Amino acid sequence: MATEESIPESLKTLPQAPVSEPDFLHITKGWKSWAFTLDHKRIGMMYLFGILFSLLLGGSFALLLRTELWAPGKTIVGPDTYNQFFTLHGAVMVFLVIIPGIPAALGNIIMPIQLGAPDVAFPRLNLASFYLWCSGALLLVLTIPFGGLDTGWTLYTPYSLETKTAVMVATSGVFLLGFSSIFTGLNFLVTIHKFRPQGMGWFQLPLNIWAIYGTAIMQVLATPVLGITVLLLTVERFAHIGIFDPTMGGDPVLFQHFFWFYSHPAVYIMIIPGMGVISELISVYARKPIFGYRFVAYSSLSLALLSFLVWGHHMFVSGQSRLANMVFSALTFTVGIPSAIKVFNWVATLYKGDIRLKTGMIYGLSFLLLFTIGGLTGLFLGILSVDVHLHDTYFVVAHFHYVMMGSTLVAFLGALHHWWPKFTGRMYNEAVGQLCGLGVFVGFNITFLPQFVMGARGMPRRYWDYDPQYQIFHQISTIGAYILGFSIFISVVSLIASFKYGKKAARNPWGGSSLEWSAPTPPTLYNFEKPPVVHELYNYDDLVEVAPDRWERLSDAPELQDAKKEAH
Amino acid sequence: MSASDHDGHGHDDHGHGDDHGHGHAGQSRFIQHHYDDAKHQFDSGKFGIWLFLAQEVLFFSALFVAYVLYRVHHPEIYSYAHKWLDVKYGAINTAVLIFSSLTAAWAVRAAQLGQKKLLIACLATTIVCACTFLGIKYIEYHHKWKEQILFGKFFDPCVSPGGEELITRKNKCEGTKSTVQFDEAAGKPTAGCFEISKLDLDPDRVGIQADCQVSEVKISKGADGKEVEGASRPITNRCKDELVELLEKTESGGKVGHVATHETPKPAEEAQGQQFPCWRPSFQPFVCLDATDADKRLHGQGSKPTAGILVEYGDELERHDVKINATCKERPVTPPPSDVHADKTNTPEEGVKAVQPLHELTTHEEHELEALGPPPEHTGMFLTIYFAMTGLHGVHVLVGILVFIWLLFRAIRGDFTSDYFGPVDFSALYWHIVDLIWIFLFPLLYLIH
Repeated sequence: MATEESIPESLKTLPQAPVSEPDFLHITKGWKSWAFTLDHKRIGMMYLFGILFSLLLGGSFALLLRTELWAPGKTIVGPDTYNQFFTLHGAVMVFLVIIPGIPAALGNIIMPIQLGAPDVAFPRLNLASFYLWCSGALLLVLTIPFGGLDTGWTLYTPYSLETKTAVMVATSGVFLLGFSSIFTGLNFLVTIHKFRPQGMGWFQLPLNIWAIYGTAIMQVLATPVLGITVLLLTVERFAHIGIFDPTMGGDPVLFQHFFWFYSHPAVYIMIIPGMGVISELISVYARKPIFGYRFVAYSSLSLALLSFLVWGHHMFVSGQSRLANMVFSALTFTVGIPSAIKVFNWVATLYKGDIRLKTGMIYGLSFLLLFTIGGLTGLFLGILSVDVHLHDTYFVVAHFHYVMMGSTLVAFLGALHHWWPKFTGRMYNEAVGQLCGLGVFVGFNITFLPQFVMGARGMPRRYWDYDPQYQIFHQISTIGAYILGFSIFISVVSLIASFKYGKKAARNPWGGSSLEWSAPTPPTLYNFEKPPVVHELYNYDDLVEVAPDRWERLSDAPELQDAKKEAH
Repeated sequence: MSASDHDGHGHDDHGHGDDHGHGHAGQSRFIQHHYDDAKHQFDSGKFGIWLFLAQEVLFFSALFVAYVLYRVHHPEIYSYAHKWLDVKYGAINTAVLIFSSLTAAWAVRAAQLGQKKLLIACLATTIVCACTFLGIKYIEYHHKWKEQILFGKFFDPCVSPGGEELITRKNKCEGTKSTVQFDEAAGKPTAGCFEISKLDLDPDRVGIQADCQVSEVKISKGADGKEVEGASRPITNRCKDELVELLEKTESGGKVGHVATHETPKPAEEAQGQQFPCWRPSFQPFVCLDATDADKRLHGQGSKPTAGILVEYGDELERHDVKINATCKERPVTPPPSDVHADKTNTPEEGVKAVQPLHELTTHEEHELEALGPPPEHTGMFLTIYFAMTGLHGVHVLVGILVFIWLLFRAIRGDFTSDYFGPVDFSALYWHIVDLIWIFLFPLLYLIH
C-alpha cells in the first residue's frame, strides 16, 4: 500500500474519471420523477428519509418516557399516557425504523450496486413495497388521533382484545408493513440469485450481501406468520371470532407463540444486516481482508436458521411446558455460537490492521463492544432459573436495547456515514460525525448500563411508578438518553446539511474494494457506465489514497503504478 | 443461478429516464431492459413466484397450527361440529378446483406454444371454475349465516338432538326412530333404533328433571339467589320454527311443539304432541319443557319424569352456582308415582321400549353419540377455524379470479408469445397453491370421523 508521501504531487490533482451520464439524483426532475420512480436508489432514499423521520418520532417518545421516569409518581404525564408513550416508542422503532432501516433503505440503495446489478429484480414491486411501508407507517401514526395504543408493541392478548385504544388501526398498519418487508426480502433474494455479474460467485459476494441474503430469507419465511397473526387479531377485534379469546375457548398463549415465531426471527432481521455492515466497515477501515470470510458468511445463514427455533425463550414464564422450556433454553444457547464467530472474526480482522478512526469506524468499534454486552446478557436470560428472576425487568429492556439499538441502530448510523458520500455525492463534516459517534456510544452506555443494575434489583419494565431506591438509576438513564438523542439528532442534521455545505465526494472516499466504490459517485441510473469488473474481495493492496478521502485503483491508472514502484 | 450467463448489461439500448422501458431488439416488447434477455426475466420471475408461494404456505401455516392445536386439546368439538359441514358441497368444490388447476396448467402450455384460442378457452374455463367454487361457498356460508352456525360470539345455533339428519339418514333408522337413547342405569347413551318420543335428556346437562307437572321455574345464581340475568331471553322464532318443522316431519307429529322460557312456563297439559328439548350452547340458560307422555306419566304409567328442564351452563363453575327451582303443580292423588330406579329393574311397561343396545359401540358410534347431545363447550371454535381457513382461502380464490381476468384480457390482446408467457406460468403456479391448500382443507374440515 502506498503511503501518502510517496504519491507525486501531480497525482493528487489527477482529474477523476469523467462520467458520461448524469447521476441518478439529477437525471430527471420534479416530484413525479421521485414518486413514480423505479430506481432502487431513489426508492431507497425515500425509505431513508421516511425512516429518519420515524426515528425522530420514536426517539421523541423515548425521551418523553425517560423524562416521565425522572421521579417516582407523576413527573409530566399520567400512567395511561405513559403506556401509550412506551407502546408507540416500541412499535415505531421496531416496525418503522430498525426492521426496514438497513435492508429496505440502505440495502436498497447499496446492495444492487455492491452486487454489480443495474437494479433489483422487480423494480415495480420495490416501489410497491415502499408505498406499503408508507401506508403502514401512516396507520401506525394514525393510532395517536384514533385513541392511541397502550398494549406494548407486542400486542399481547387478551389485553389487546379488551383495551379501548386503536388496536385495529395499529394491527392493520403492522399487516401492511409486514408485506412491505416480505416483498423487499423476496426482491432481494431474486436479485442476489439472478443478478450477479460475471465473476461474482457466491463467495465473491461482500459480507453485507450475505447478511442481506440471510435477512431476506427470514423476511420471506417469518413475516407471513406475523401477517396472519395480526390479521386474526384484527378480525378478533371486530368480529369476535374467539381464536385468542379465552372466554370463547381461544388460547391467548397461542398468540404469543405466533407473535414470537415472527418476532424472534425479526430480532435477527434487525441485527444480521447490522452485522453485514460491520463486516464491511471493520475491513475497510482496518485496511485488512476480513478474517474468516466463509465463517462470517455461513454464520449469517446459520443465525437465520437458528432464529426460527428459539421463539419460546420469550415465553418461559407464560405457562409453557417444562420440556418446551428446556428445549428452547438449550437452543437459545446455540445462537451464541455464530454470534461469537462473527465477533471473534471482526476482532481478528482488527488485529495488526491499519485502523482509521473515521466516523464509520467509530460506529463499527462501538458496535463490537455494545453487541458483545448485548449478546452476553442474552445468555443470562436464556438460563431458565435466572430468567424467572429477570423476566419483565429493566434487565431485559437493557439487553434488547444493547442488541437492537446499541448494535443495529449503531450499525445503521455507521452504514449511513460510510455510504452517504456514495449516494449523495457529498462529504459530511467528519469532525461532527466523529464527535456524534462518540456521543452515541457514551450516551448509550449511560442510558442502559444502569438499567441492567436496576433490573437485576427488581425494577419491572413498563411501570410508570417505582420505589425511590431506583430513582438514581432512572435519573442516570434519563441523562444518558438525552445525550444519546442529542448526538443522533446532530449527526443526522450534519448529514442533511452536507447536501448544501459538503464538498463533493470522490468515487472511492474510503478505499473500499467492493463494487459500489467503482461506480460513479453518485451512481448513474443503471449504476455502472460499463459492465463492472469484479476485483478480489477485501483486498486493499491495489488501492491507494491519492488525496484525502480519495482512493484510486493502481491497476486503473498507469501513473499510480509508477508511483508505487518508486515508493518501494 | 444465472451468474455465469449474466454478463453485464447493455446500456446502449435505453434512453434516459428510469421507466424501465422495453428495449430488447428482436424480443417481446414486454422484456424489461434491466434483464439480459427473455430467459433471464422468466427465470427471475419464476424464482420470485416460488418465494411468494413459500410465503403463502407460511401465511396459512398459523391457521393449520391453530387447527391442530385445538383439535388435539378438544377433539370433541371437532367430532361434534363437523356434521354442520356438507361433504357433498366440499367434494364438488374439490373436483371443481382440481379441474381448474388442470385448465390453468393447460393454459401455460397453450401460451408457450402460442395457441391463442386454446389459451383464451383455458383461462376462461379457469375463471368459470373459480366462480363456481365461490358460488358453492356462498351457499354454504349463507346456510350457516341463517342458522347462526357462526364463529365465536355469534355461534348460536338451535340444536335438536337426534335431528332429522340423524333420524333419517345415519344408521338407517326409519321414520321417527332415532339412533340414541340415554340409558340412565348405565349412565351413558346407547345405540340402536328407538322411538324418537323416547329420546331423553342427558341428566348431566339437565338442571332438574321434575317428576311433576311444572308450573313455574326460577333460575337463580349465586349465594344470594339473585335471578340470572339474561335467563329471561326469549327463544327466537327461528328456533321455534325449526322445532315445528321437525315435528311435522315425524309420523305422529304435525302439531306445534311447545317451547317456553322460565318466565312463561306453560302447564304441561297445555302442550300437545311431541316435545323436543332444544339445546342452545349460548351462555344464557333457558328452559325447554318436555311434556312427552305427560298424562301417562302423571298417572304413574311412565318411567320418565313429567317435565325436563334443560339449562345449558356457560361453564363448569356455573353449574354449581346456578340453582333451578321448579314449582310443581299439585300431584293427582292416585296412583302414586313409581320409583324411577325401581322401574329400571322391572320389565318395562307397555308403551315404553326397553333400553337395549343392539351391539357394543364402536369408536365411530361413540363419537356419533357424543355428537348427538348438546354441543360441547366452545364448539364455536371449530366454526372460527372453519371460517378463518376457508375465508382466507376464499380471498385467495377471489384474487385468483382477478388475476385470471387480467390474463384473459392480455391473452385476447395477444400479449403472450412463446418468448413471453411468464405471467401465465406464474399465475398458474399461484392457482395451484390455492388448489393445494383446498385439498388440505377439505379432508381436515369436512371429512372428520
